[in-house]
Amino acid sequence: MSTTPLIHVVDDDSSMRTALLLLLGEVGFEARGYSSTGEFLLQPLPDRPGCLLLDLRLPGPSGLELQEALQRQNIMLPIVFLTGHANVSSSVRAMKAGAVDFLTKPVKRDILLDAVQRALARDATQRTAREKADRLHVRFASLTPRQREIFDRIVAGKLNKQIAYELGIAERTVKREREQVMAKLDARSSSDPGRLAELP
Amino acid sequence: MLAADIQFMLSLDLRQAETVLAGIIREQMPIRTMTPHGSKMQWLGVARALMTALVLFCIALPLHAAEEEARVLMLYGLDPYLPPFLAMDKAMRESLASETDRRVIFFSESLDSQRFAMETLEPQLAALLAKKYNALRIHVVVAVSRTALDFFERHGEQVWPGARVVFVGFLGYEFKPSALPPGASAVLSILDAAGTIDIARRLQPGARRIVVVSGVAEVDRRAEQQARKALAELDERVPVEFLSGLPLPELEARVAAEPPDSIVIYLAQFRDRDGRPYEPHEVLRAVVKTSRAPVYGAAETMLGLGAVAGSVASYESRGRLVGEQVRRALAGGPPDPSRSVLAAPNHCVADARALQRWSLDVGRLPSGCEIRFADVPIWRRYWWQIALTLAIVAAQATLIVALFAQRRRRRLAEQAEQAQRAVLARASRLALAGELTGAIAHEINQPLGAILTNADAGDLMLDSGRDRRDELRTVLANIRRDDLRASEVIQRLRDLLGKQKLERKEFDLNEVVGDLESIMRAEARRRGVALEIRRAPGTLAIMGDRVQMQQVLINLVLNAMDAVSDESEARRTVVVSVAKGKSGAVLAVRDRGRGIAPEHRTKLFESFFSTKRNGMGLGLSITRTIVEAHGGRVWAESGPDEDTVFQAELPLAIANGASSPHAA
Repeated sequence: MSTTPLIHVVDDDSSMRTALLLLLGEVGFEARGYSSTGEFLLQPLPDRPGCLLLDLRLPGPSGLELQEALQRQNIMLPIVFLTGHANVSSSVRAMKAGAVDFLTKPVKRDILLDAVQRALARDATQRTAREKADRLHVRFASLTPRQREIFDRIVAGKLNKQIAYELGIAERTVKREREQVMAKLDARSSSDPGRLAELP
Repeated sequence: MLAADIQFMLSLDLRQAETVLAGIIREQMPIRTMTPHGSKMQWLGVARALMTALVLFCIALPLHAAEEEARVLMLYGLDPYLPPFLAMDKAMRESLASETDRRVIFFSESLDSQRFAMETLEPQLAALLAKKYNALRIHVVVAVSRTALDFFERHGEQVWPGARVVFVGFLGYEFKPSALPPGASAVLSILDAAGTIDIARRLQPGARRIVVVSGVAEVDRRAEQQARKALAELDERVPVEFLSGLPLPELEARVAAEPPDSIVIYLAQFRDRDGRPYEPHEVLRAVVKTSRAPVYGAAETMLGLGAVAGSVASYESRGRLVGEQVRRALAGGPPDPSRSVLAAPNHCVADARALQRWSLDVGRLPSGCEIRFADVPIWRRYWWQIALTLAIVAAQATLIVALFAQRRRRRLAEQAEQAQRAVLARASRLALAGELTGAIAHEINQPLGAILTNADAGDLMLDSGRDRRDELRTVLANIRRDDLRASEVIQRLRDLLGKQKLERKEFDLNEVVGDLESIMRAEARRRGVALEIRRAPGTLAIMGDRVQMQQVLINLVLNAMDAVSDESEARRTVVVSVAKGKSGAVLAVRDRGRGIAPEHRTKLFESFFSTKRNGMGLGLSITRTIVEAHGGRVWAESGPDEDTVFQAELPLAIANGASSPHAA
């Protein structure tokens, strides 16, 4: 898995697209250009850090429509919008849907690169969180059904006695299973599983 | 000769044929008697006469059924062609023709007594006339002048048996009605020497001499006698001199020597003392020409030949009286004693030209004096013709001025309308520009963005420290290209918005679509509308204003985009097409919107009609104005569940259409 960020540039205007790719390349990024949202979607999305530099108005589905589609598919690629002419409604819509920034052409280099950096930073954060969650999911999956029942009650803040009573097992058994759950989930205190339960 | 006779007869009125026949028979008779040895000739002559008689009998047969014609002989003692006689003769004939149903045949004989000595010629003349009128019965003899009457008295019974005589006395010598032969009647004219002298005295109250000019012929002398008598009766204190029978050169010299304040009375001069005959008017002309003093004349025809004035009887009225007497004589019966002698009244007549020549005051003429030859100003003589002409000219001029004014007004109105239309069109274009702001900004920002980004990239390349000249050159080329692209967009906008003046040039309708393609596409993208553009192959050249045609295109395209804005994505399609139609180039804009409500269809192209919330209702109205100004038409087609198509058809600049070689 490569760690170099890959920046996707979707712009139907070829000279703009070329210029962006050139600039991003000069700065040290790896960038890939697409002339429409469809072209972007047709390419397999490699699993590497990156962001999306997206024109608002495009032939066929627009940038906003691509943003919605990616969200639906749970693809968390941060988006920086770059448009020739912005109006308030489309910028509000884009930002509400989680865009990193909404830039207007012509855009200054610092602003563009800053936005790209922020997008990459968010991507990195998102990636870290996701990896952690993924790990927890793996651990959680290793719990036995009995251990899951006990985990649910721990998260609910119940005492061992109460759990034993509810499940109709011995308190000693509860205590032993609990230790195992804590070990499997790599939790240090009983409050940790609560956080874990909140994960998606 | 006979053939000629018959031809002549045929040319005559049938009533005259009998007369001619008699003449022919008389002509043939002597041949028989004078050629005793030529019996063949004799019989030939008789045969000819009989044949002619037969022919003429057949021709003349119907004549006997009609009333017998009246034959009137004009017997002139003097030259019948003298102006007074001609004037009288004409009036007489007219009077007779209008008053009688009977056909009147006129014969004419002249004794010409003032130029030929009647004493020696008379017997033979009488014999000749007797022979001439042998078989021709004359009903009335009009004896003009005393000489003629005398001749009739001596020879009338022999020459014209049974004819009644009407005497016409000229120049007013004394004549007693009792001296008329029995059964005769007369028309007399009185030489009003007294009246004429009175007129002269009135016109020239300061005259110091009166000169009377007359001849020595018998008529001259009679006239002179009357003048002497009148002058004696007038009791003139002014000395009077008679110039009687002077030869013309002498007379001229004498008259020329007269001082201007004299009065010259011209009576008539037929003959001078040397026996030389004159035509009286010829003498008058000479006198008038040389005289320094005003010349007066006592006969009507003298006025007009230079005489100033005179107391005259008109020949026309005399002629009518003669006609009356002839008519009465033809009617037969005993003469009416009360009407046997008629006289035409004398009255004052003056010649305006002569009055002017001798500087005489018209105001001094007796009241009721007839002024002839007055130089009536042309505008008074032809006043109504002139007035009519002027009226027509004035009416025409007014009409022309009115038409010019109307044309000018129309032209001004047209100019004002055109200016207004241009202003409106421009306002509408500005409104369009407002609508297109997004698309325009996009079209400009796109290259600007590329330029900036390329410049940044170039900057970074320089900072990299390596020699990347080729890459930098590419970057600069891209910058240049994008810069030109941006300026082109601006130029097009300036063309569309800035221009006021209309052009009339040939251009390709495809180019109009090309001009606006980027903006239309930008707008379509902004609105999420699929825009399809189909151009015609080759060139569709039309004549007119390219910018206005761009406006038409934008109007139609924006309308179409508006129409599909609320539709599902599948229907958000607009198709612009240029094609060659049946009678020109057709620009069509098709959309898949909801169509046009039937009740709106008729008002579609009217001003201030709009179904849009913020629509001014000018777009389609201006579109139609522009298209029609280009000689084309614009219409919309739309049905339920069908596409809506707005089409503008424009006449091709080249009659045979299609493509021209210089543009592809």
